[in-house]
Amino acid sequence: MSLFLIAALPFLGACFPALLIRAGRNASAMSAGAVSLLALIGLLIHAPSVLRGEVIAARLDWLPELGLNANFFLDGLGLLFAGLILGIGILIILYARFYLSREDPMGQFYCYLLLFQGAMVGIVLSDNILLLLVFWELTSLSSFLLIGYWRHLPEGRQGARMALIVTGAGGLAMIGGMLILGNIAGSYDLTVILQQRDLIQTSPLYLPALILILIGAFTKSAQFPFHFWLPHAMAAPTPVSAYLHSATMVKAGLFLMARLWPVMAGTDAWFYIVATTGLVTMVLGAVIALFKDDLKALLAFSTVSHLGLITMLLGFGTGMAAVAAVFHIINHATFKAALFMTAGIVDHEAHTRDIKRLGGLRRLMPVTFTIAAVASLSMAGLIPLNGYLSKEMMLEEAAHTAWLQSTWLVPALATFGALLSAAYSFRYVAHVFLGPERDDYPSHPHDPGAGMWLAPAFLVSLVVLIGLFPETVAGGIVAAAAGAVTGGDLPEYHLKLWHGLTPAFYMSAVALSGGLMLLWGHAHLNRAWTNSPRPEAKTIFDAIVGTATRISRILTDRLHDGALTRYAAIFVAFTLGLAGYAWLSGTLGPQTRAPLEIAALPLIGWIGVIVSTVLMVAFHRRRLLALILMGVVGLVVSVSFNYLSAPDLALTQISVEVVTIVLMLLALNFMPKETPRESSPVRKTRDAVLSIGAGLGVGGLIYALMRRDFDLPTISEYHLNNSYSGGGGTNVVNVILVDFRGFDTFGEITVLGIAAIVIFAVTQAVLSGPVRGRLLNRKPDAPQSGDAHPLMMVVVTRMMMPVALMVAAFIFFRGHNLPGGGFIAGLIAAIAVVMQYMASGFGWAAERQHVPYHGIIGSGVLVAAVTGMGAWLAGEPFLTSAFGYVHLPGLEKFELATAALFDLGVFLAVVGAVMLALESFSRFAWQPGIAPEHAMDINPARDLDPKNPEEV
Amino acid sequence: MQDVMEYLIALFLIVSGVFGLVGSFGLLKLGDPMSRLHAPTKATTLGVGGVLIASMIHAIALEGKASFHELLITLFLFLTAPITANFIAKVHIHRNETPQSMPPAGEDRLWATHDVDKETA
Repeated sequence: MSLFLIAALPFLGACFPALLIRAGRNASAMSAGAVSLLALIGLLIHAPSVLRGEVIAARLDWLPELGLNANFFLDGLGLLFAGLILGIGILIILYARFYLSREDPMGQFYCYLLLFQGAMVGIVLSDNILLLLVFWELTSLSSFLLIGYWRHLPEGRQGARMALIVTGAGGLAMIGGMLILGNIAGSYDLTVILQQRDLIQTSPLYLPALILILIGAFTKSAQFPFHFWLPHAMAAPTPVSAYLHSATMVKAGLFLMARLWPVMAGTDAWFYIVATTGLVTMVLGAVIALFKDDLKALLAFSTVSHLGLITMLLGFGTGMAAVAAVFHIINHATFKAALFMTAGIVDHEAHTRDIKRLGGLRRLMPVTFTIAAVASLSMAGLIPLNGYLSKEMMLEEAAHTAWLQSTWLVPALATFGALLSAAYSFRYVAHVFLGPERDDYPSHPHDPGAGMWLAPAFLVSLVVLIGLFPETVAGGIVAAAAGAVTGGDLPEYHLKLWHGLTPAFYMSAVALSGGLMLLWGHAHLNRAWTNSPRPEAKTIFDAIVGTATRISRILTDRLHDGALTRYAAIFVAFTLGLAGYAWLSGTLGPQTRAPLEIAALPLIGWIGVIVSTVLMVAFHRRRLLALILMGVVGLVVSVSFNYLSAPDLALTQISVEVVTIVLMLLALNFMPKETPRESSPVRKTRDAVLSIGAGLGVGGLIYALMRRDFDLPTISEYHLNNSYSGGGGTNVVNVILVDFRGFDTFGEITVLGIAAIVIFAVTQAVLSGPVRGRLLNRKPDAPQSGDAHPLMMVVVTRMMMPVALMVAAFIFFRGHNLPGGGFIAGLIAAIAVVMQYMASGFGWAAERQHVPYHGIIGSGVLVAAVTGMGAWLAGEPFLTSAFGYVHLPGLEKFELATAALFDLGVFLAVVGAVMLALESFSRFAWQPGIAPEHAMDINPARDLDPKNPEEV
Repeated sequence: MQDVMEYLIALFLIVSGVFGLVGSFGLLKLGDPMSRLHAPTKATTLGVGGVLIASMIHAIALEGKASFHELLITLFLFLTAPITANFIAKVHIHRNETPQSMPPAGEDRLWATHDVDKETA
């Protein structure tokens, strides 16, 4: 199966569980499982060749100019991780089916889970670090959704936010590091980067790149000092914890360190940063885990500790340590996922995760006890389980690692960490399952159905099998993955239980016996621990986030306080500053064009604009008058477009003008007709300076531009020459809109539609609040006209509607060759309908309007998109237009162009957007249930004897 | 024939110009809104109408083809001018008159624009 398909399958499949939940929870779970299984089978098909040492690749140039290619490759390391992700994913899907309760939206859960799975598979298969970054951020986002899955729980929401902030911030740092790395190596393809060890390590940018990438890896893998988010993420449902926080997501950081190991490792910086962080995390996590009473918190900190262990091994930088790291990744995934699942079972059955309230469960839940015991003894490192093997290898490596000439520090701390690890593992078994049976469990515990224990049982069987026959079961994949980590050469090693009386064996013995002693003395230690002062990570985190929020709020409140005048002032001042800088730093060429004599008509228009602008300043307080003055300016502009031979613009301007004025009038309906005096003289001076400066600046700029020829040839010539031959239309403006720059237009109609829908949504939100009542009860500030719908107006507008629609059709059809087009036609059609709203009232018009405007917008965008995609059928890029001439008997030869279909999309989107905006405004004034009295629906025969009372 | 047509065109243009002038003058000169309402109607009906007729004659006689754009313009004028006048009159009544200052409205209760007061009155 192609690597593309393996990476895409979880994403494609994510919709199935969400849809199939209607067919029941089993169908939903089965579809999710089937998708994962299919991807896993596809992966395993490649397994034999990868285990032989081959590398499978799939390449697709996406944006080669940016170095962003959709390249995937599969080697031993990728196979190991992808196998873990998909394999444990299937087990988790099975477990979650029985873990989640009836109230939980299961379809949503599996949908998020598959999205996460896809992002993880994408990370481990990416051959392009930019692509990897995309998937990396996707895991942060999807894990946010999963951690916050129980959104009614504040802990869930806070934990999700914290995880997102920490891993997201780390991801940002990593983007910087990756870009530096790609820059050094000269390519963003991993396979190329991995060949450039010397180049990268001698580069002066090596250290910054290393630190930034490590921040990303450490945050993701919960390494000290970023370890605090992981325990808080435990508010997630247990399947999520088992999947994300033991087997997969937290290992993404480890994966990245392993992936970049060939080029990054082996330097002093690498050793001291990575190994030290790992060592500290390992010991610290283990200490905290020992004193946690919440089962999942205990496991979370033990995960932190084990992740530290693996990080430390990767930090050692030796081939043997890499083997141990890879082996421990496998072992940890098996026993820790199983442990999380048993913790979930205990929680599910006993209704508590508090160790203090548990104990004595071994007789009540024998199956769970067996699974938990095997898994935690493996975590403790007891012979002959798989945890023992990798722990021995770790201790062996630690035994001959020196830290700043000190040969005892690393071995001693590693042994101490292993000792603590043994202690909390024993505690998990002893305090939950051993001891006397109690009679005060919140719920009477018993073993769950097979559905819940099958998945952990499968994992512990792996624990035992790997422990007993390491070489047979895991030897191949460990060799392949470790080979990929080190870049080929591996030292001589043997995965086996008995290595003789090595130093590691003694250290291990010390650790186990020490662990037992700690368990024995746990009660005393716990008292000392709870009484000692400890920094609480969450408080510190909340304080930092709180400070950041306060600062940004201060900034936002200053700049963004809701006063439009302030935005305008900031915007204009900034623009003035930029323009001033450009003016002072640039040079101005000589004037090459002679000024023209002014003709009478433009002079009149010019005076008209200036007079109305001055009047506007004088009368701006009276809003209706200001609106009329604005209309004057708009009309002069339209006329001047026409005068300057731009009929398209004139048509557009004039119809936009009409719609705008209607919109403003609607808005004015709810506002006082006079603006209150609120500007201080200082403020007025500031505004005057700004606006006069900006006005003079724009005027001067235009004057300077018009007196000179352009430095470079303009694109107009190209458009004029190619409009007919290339686009099949003689109206260059329309051909530009629907053909040359069709993609722009497509974006614009989409934005227009979104804007209209946002207006609708805001209206809806406002109207569902207390504002609705206030609007209904408001007293108008002036007496209202008695007949809101004058008879003459009603008659005329109804008569005009077909005429106006005809004009719209006319404008639309001639648009390709003569002034017109979909945009103008859309505005005219909208005006035709708006007239009905104005004359006959909202209620009357709404009753007769059967197609929702949202649908019209959507269909417009769809029509445009489908037209654009039609070009693919002809093997051309998106939105390539075609045209031809058709001859039908009885008609003149006429042209058919796909551009006209695209224009239809524009038309629909414009009609829908304008009408939706107008309708939303009107809804503020509309009182449902109150029929308009004066519209034409009054029966003229009302005073005659009613034969049928229904008619009146 | 040609000359007759040209004289005819000139005549209509002069007529329209005169009425345009009269209409504008009246708009400036007349005292109250209701009287002023009459003046522009001269400009729109007779004034513009004259130009339109002149244009049609011009098209038929001098260019040798029939032109119907002018009829369309006439139609739009006939539609918009009364509505505009009606609205101006309504605004005037609404702002300057009270139900008491108006003559009785007949069987249809009050004058339409003051209808809103029927509950309070």
